[in-house]
Amino acid sequence: MSSIDASAAIADSDATKRRVNIAPRAAVLWALIIVFCVVPFALVLAISFGQKIEGAGWEWGFTFANYTRFFVGADYPETTTFLYLNRLYYSLQYAVIAAILAVITAFPFTYLMTRLSRAAQSRWLVFLLATMSLSEVFIVMGWDILLSNRSGLPMVLRETGMTQLLKDIGWFDQLREWGLANPRDVKFKTSSVATVLTMSYLVWPYAVILLYPALSRLDQSMVEAARTMGAGPWTVIRTVVLPSVRMPLIGTLFLLFVFLLGTYVAITVFADPSKQTLAISVYESVRGSTLNAPFGAAQAIILLITGGICLALGQMLVNRSGAQA
Amino acid sequence: MADLVLNGVRKDYGKVRAVEGVDLTFANGELTALLGPSGCGKTTLLRMIAGLEDPSGGQIRLGNEDLTQTPAHKRKFGMVFQNFALFPHLNVRENVCYSLTIDGVPKAQAYEKAAELLDLVQLGAFADRRIGALSGGQRQRVAIARALAQEPEIFLLDEPMSALDANLREAMQVELRLLQQRLGITTIVVTHDQREAMTMADKIVVMSNGRVEQFGPPQNIYHKPENAFVADFIGRANFFDAVIDGGKITSAGLTLETDPLNFKAGSPVRVAIRPEKTMLDGDLPTGNRVPAEVTFVRDVGPVRDLHLSTPLGPVIVEYAIGEGARTFVVGEKCEVHFPPNALYVYPGTEARKAA
Amino acid sequence: MLGRIYMSLAALVVLLPIVVVSAAALNGGRSMLFPPKDPTFVRFAEFFLEEPVWRTAIMNSVLIAVGSAALAVLIAWPLAYGLWREQTKASQILAGLGAMPFALPPIVFGVGLGFFWGFGGGLGQIWSGIISHAILFLALPLVTISIGLQSIDRAHLDAAATMGATERIAFRTIILPQMMPYTASGFFFALVLSFNEFIVMFFVSSSAYTTVTLQIFNSLRNGFTPTMAVGAITFIGVSVAVFSLVARFGDLPRLMGADQSKT
Repeated sequence: MSSIDASAAIADSDATKRRVNIAPRAAVLWALIIVFCVVPFALVLAISFGQKIEGAGWEWGFTFANYTRFFVGADYPETTTFLYLNRLYYSLQYAVIAAILAVITAFPFTYLMTRLSRAAQSRWLVFLLATMSLSEVFIVMGWDILLSNRSGLPMVLRETGMTQLLKDIGWFDQLREWGLANPRDVKFKTSSVATVLTMSYLVWPYAVILLYPALSRLDQSMVEAARTMGAGPWTVIRTVVLPSVRMPLIGTLFLLFVFLLGTYVAITVFADPSKQTLAISVYESVRGSTLNAPFGAAQAIILLITGGICLALGQMLVNRSGAQA
Repeated sequence: MADLVLNGVRKDYGKVRAVEGVDLTFANGELTALLGPSGCGKTTLLRMIAGLEDPSGGQIRLGNEDLTQTPAHKRKFGMVFQNFALFPHLNVRENVCYSLTIDGVPKAQAYEKAAELLDLVQLGAFADRRIGALSGGQRQRVAIARALAQEPEIFLLDEPMSALDANLREAMQVELRLLQQRLGITTIVVTHDQREAMTMADKIVVMSNGRVEQFGPPQNIYHKPENAFVADFIGRANFFDAVIDGGKITSAGLTLETDPLNFKAGSPVRVAIRPEKTMLDGDLPTGNRVPAEVTFVRDVGPVRDLHLSTPLGPVIVEYAIGEGARTFVVGEKCEVHFPPNALYVYPGTEARKAA
Repeated sequence: MLGRIYMSLAALVVLLPIVVVSAAALNGGRSMLFPPKDPTFVRFAEFFLEEPVWRTAIMNSVLIAVGSAALAVLIAWPLAYGLWREQTKASQILAGLGAMPFALPPIVFGVGLGFFWGFGGGLGQIWSGIISHAILFLALPLVTISIGLQSIDRAHLDAAATMGATERIAFRTIILPQMMPYTASGFFFALVLSFNEFIVMFFVSSSAYTTVTLQIFNSLRNGFTPTMAVGAITFIGVSVAVFSLVARFGDLPRLMGADQSKT
């Protein structure tokens, strides 16, 4: 027995020795991650309680003035404005619609892609990854050309006589009501439609990439079983495929949504100035014309919290439906 | 070379005891099979011998050298893994050379050794192949050659045949046994296949629930199972419950003779008999006859299995199909004889636990 | 059939703006027209050779992309290895924190880094840009290396141990060689995304230097020029080339999370 005890003691001292060896490396890693991944966010939070100094930047402080200003305006209670809440509203609106649009269109595409051979999937993935990594700047540039009044789609419509046709059958007035036409021509700049479409385009490859694992792991024999029981392709998708990927579907939706909350370039180019988002005013406060870093930080924090709440909500939804399944 | 001795070796995972106090001596140059159903602790025991798991207690010795705290890379017992664990990023030769390469053996010398080993396993022409280009049987040979490259004192194999096709297994079993005998290396093979164990082993360790149930030469294990578990796990056996009555046993109103027993009168026992040791048809010896009715006939090539319904419960009888063999039909009444020396009698309570 | 049409249509829409941008680069004049007028390759020469603004922007982009991708891989390795090796709560939290900047809206991280480097004295420096992108894209090599490590058969490590390999030797001879494709994939993912990243670099560079994306954004306000489109083509070309390489030498479907058994 005594020899066992002694050997156990040796093992213990070995373990402590190993821990001592690992500890400095782990400490360096922790320090690195906290300094670079956590501190920047913490700084934004800390500065959001600071104050602007006229003409000289800002100073530390502990005031909720920036948050008050966000929700009810700077001159509250004399006057109340909801300008920034309005911007948050547009942030949410664009992001929600664009995310849903992307997921709805990406889902069938991804499903079809996973049915292809491995080599074909590989080629599609290269294509998608390449477009996914393309900067927002390029994509906006491309759509800007495509939708610009002089050389894009409006011109095509005008030259082909479609614009005239629309006018003749009376749909043109409808387009004007939607903000998609000026008195003479169809126009997309600036319009919510163009904004949402571009944003949706931005995240579309992400949507495919995020849906891909779940759909490619879908047990094909399940689909075949449903087929043998008389389910047509659409019934199969509705009753077998969709329910079994519900969780990743919701998860993808929320991830895209949070990502889209921060869209910047597409909004500056395509959104009407009166319908701009929080991301724009964050930029304007921190780097742009208004220069009020603490207020910009407060807006960023609100954006972050909104995103956080939505992610948590999504997680909850996913968990709940997971528990039901 | 010395014997490998396990002394009270045990392994706990939290509260679960995977291996309990195992005492075994693996004699120098012998091949021992660790045989048992899955989850019986045989692989854990092998991994403790290799140094891949730390025993929770006990001692592992090679001769006089205590290896209990020696890490796997210092023991250097060659081991063949279940799926062979060949390194996919190295070719056949580099796999075989691995232990020599990391020891800093000069390349030329290591390659020479690899060539020699690959010849030994008849893969001399495959040295430059990638692992992915090999068949299951070839992979196994590479794994064996690789484990032998370091000239280990002990050679360990964890279910070496499980990744092979059924028809390849028996051939490889014979080949492995011949190789082991040629090299005279102390070898331990983990397996759940009794034919495999019996084909290759000098000694068999039957394990269940982390315990050693029996340790001995294959024929002993088969013909003299020490407990109901071994009787059941090795070969086939019919079981029935009985009570000791003087020098005999009684069950369902029948009295059967057995070899001399060491049980108190009236104690419950569990009795086993192997299907091929029963007798049917022809001139049965007197006594130990049990009335039976045929319920199912199963022809399996050289022998015929008859399922019988008897007062003792269902009994399977193996009946050789030879010249003049009788045919039986379902529903037919007959008598079956249990030779006294073929009845294995075990204590009742323990028997029930094992069954 | 319907499926094939849908896929082609989707691909067409995805390609549309890219094609337009590429074609616009061929414009002979100074304005962005589609279809291009007086097609010419002069813009390419302008972009790569003649205009110093673009040339320094390219240099900066390349420097930051390569530097940050390498740095991200270096930080991701111990994180992923710790996660795989120990599987403790602490290592999970650490990896989660490391992936956080990538998961949250980049504009917030950009604002935070703007402040951070303002205090740290790195604002407007290339090296701070490199570190910023390394942290932002840390999640990518972290994920690819983790996926790779999961494919390591622990029996391989046991086998190495029975042949005399210490943990250090096993790492060098078994894990590292098998992880090269995954490490490279992570590196290239980070590289390409850094190359294209805009908003974080926008805050961190503080207008002290430009990258190609920043330069394009600056010109975007002053109206497009075909030269910018050349930049876009360059980027698309680099992306396609890099991901094709990843697909060629690594298992792209598996990296993207496909079921392994379907080969």
